Amino acid sequence: MSNRTIPRLLQTPAVLLLLFWMLVPLGMTLFFSFIRYFLNNTRRPEWTSPSIDNWRGFGNYQYVWNQDAFWLAIQNSLLIVCSILFLTVALGIAIAVLINRSFPGRGIVRVLLISPFFVMPAVNAVLWINMLLDPVLGLQGIAVANINDVILGLRDAPLVGGFFSLWPKFEPISFRATQTSAYAVIMMVTWQWTPFAVLIFMTSLQSEDQQQKEAAVLDGAGAWSQFRFLTLPHLGRPIAIVVMIQAIFHLSLYAEIEIVSRGNGNKNLPYYIGELVNNNIGAASATGIFAVILANIVAIFLLRMVGKTLME
Amino acid sequence: MAIVAQHSKFSKIAMPVLAWVVALIFFFPIFYMLLTSFKTDADAVKPEFLFSFTPTLENYTNMTDNYDYWRFASNSVITSVSATIFALVVGVPCAYAMAFDPSRGTKDILMWMLSTKMLPAAAVLYPMIFLTKSIGLFDTHFLVIMVLSLINLPIVIWMLFTYFKDIPKDIIEAGKMDGLNTWGEIKEILIPLAWGGIASTALLTFIFCWNEAYWTVRLTTIDAATLSKLIEGNRAPEGLFFGRLSAVSTAAVGPIVVLGWFCQKQLVQGLTFGAVK
Repeated sequence: MSNRTIPRLLQTPAVLLLLFWMLVPLGMTLFFSFIRYFLNNTRRPEWTSPSIDNWRGFGNYQYVWNQDAFWLAIQNSLLIVCSILFLTVALGIAIAVLINRSFPGRGIVRVLLISPFFVMPAVNAVLWINMLLDPVLGLQGIAVANINDVILGLRDAPLVGGFFSLWPKFEPISFRATQTSAYAVIMMVTWQWTPFAVLIFMTSLQSEDQQQKEAAVLDGAGAWSQFRFLTLPHLGRPIAIVVMIQAIFHLSLYAEIEIVSRGNGNKNLPYYIGELVNNNIGAASATGIFAVILANIVAIFLLRMVGKTLME
Repeated sequence: MAIVAQHSKFSKIAMPVLAWVVALIFFFPIFYMLLTSFKTDADAVKPEFLFSFTPTLENYTNMTDNYDYWRFASNSVITSVSATIFALVVGVPCAYAMAFDPSRGTKDILMWMLSTKMLPAAAVLYPMIFLTKSIGLFDTHFLVIMVLSLINLPIVIWMLFTYFKDIPKDIIEAGKMDGLNTWGEIKEILIPLAWGGIASTALLTFIFCWNEAYWTVRLTTIDAATLSKLIEGNRAPEGLFFGRLSAVSTAAVGPIVVLGWFCQKQLVQGLTFGAVK
């Protein structure tokens, strides 16, 4: 056996499995996207089974392209993913710097901070939308009601009463509404994934060159310029990793969207496809192909960013 | 020690305090869920019982009747453990070959593997349901195990690869000199040396499998349904059953959170994905 045979053999199972996992469903999706295929259609029963006779060409693509809901879904996907990425990276860096030095109870702080990362998405969504954000029964509702009560009480107080009587009565926000449901999703996913960013940044900060920092201090560098010119460049690679891994996970968010508002106002691309799959398989598949194209655009960008560092 | 003298009063006192405050805020939702799980459903929605109430274990003792918790929990354990083991069995040899015998195509293969992870699951949802139903695999443990291990395989290989790469090649070469074959090298040298990395990969994979909520919800009905499906299927209409919902949610995430606490150091070690040198 030649030198190269054994390494190839060792890689074969993984490569074949992933190839199969990718190509078979993708091939079927591609086929379905070019035919008329409905699960229920009493008027045209021949469309209820996948057959080459129902060829529709690019009709499904055209149909989806002209749907407002499709563009709204893309817009929502990008809004949700970009917001989460920005928030987790910013919060992650801030918290990692905050806990980088040792202080009493640092171990416990770390354990508390990392906990949300282990919570399953379904529980995360149920917990946030019901018990924390509900405008009446959740903590938000209770907090707003209490603040209103306090303000009401202060209106009769001497001196400051006049000031507080000018205050409006606060209204709790309903996070199941069309305008706000995307923010509920962003909030809960940020809560869950910030710990992941913290973990990676924290590990990276520990390998930071302390001598370089001391030299910078001797040169009179302040805390901000140390952070800006030493710490932030040092975190470049970890940021790339955090962005990439999270993009992989958040482009396919589903459970949170479903639980918060059943897609009302926060429908992303996977959810839109999920709705189409209930009947119009052709259009769902065409949307799926669009989603694959979108994911590939993102992937090329992200993999370039990470690929450079991979083989070093 | 110039650097120590530099620290102002602010950073000595305010930063730890701020760190504690942030940590408590992040942990609060979990604490609140745990707290609510000890309230009756009626008490759980009354503001006056927010923090002072008569604790009850009722929600936990009724969990089997209310939700059939144990069936879903055992499905979660079976599928997550098996999927993790399978992904490692396929992933370790692959990452070993990539790290110690890299060819020109290795980087491209790795990139391609990662890119399969970016394929939107929803795009292939219907074909998967169609296929698995027609060959009778729908709602079986086997299917869930295969799907869970395949969706995590790219990350497993990537994590292991970045970990193996840092092991000096000479050590593996020395094994070859001693007459070890490939399997011997993996078993006698690689696994003991990279144990930390393998363990943290296994942990992270297990967590991802346990928490997976797309395929496990859509490719199962009853027989192989996991805890994700239980929670997603039983979320109550607003305000109803907060107590029992909290209890079953706590029971669903509890094992993983506690496991995560104990293995935190281990997890951090492997979680860098080659980002930290």
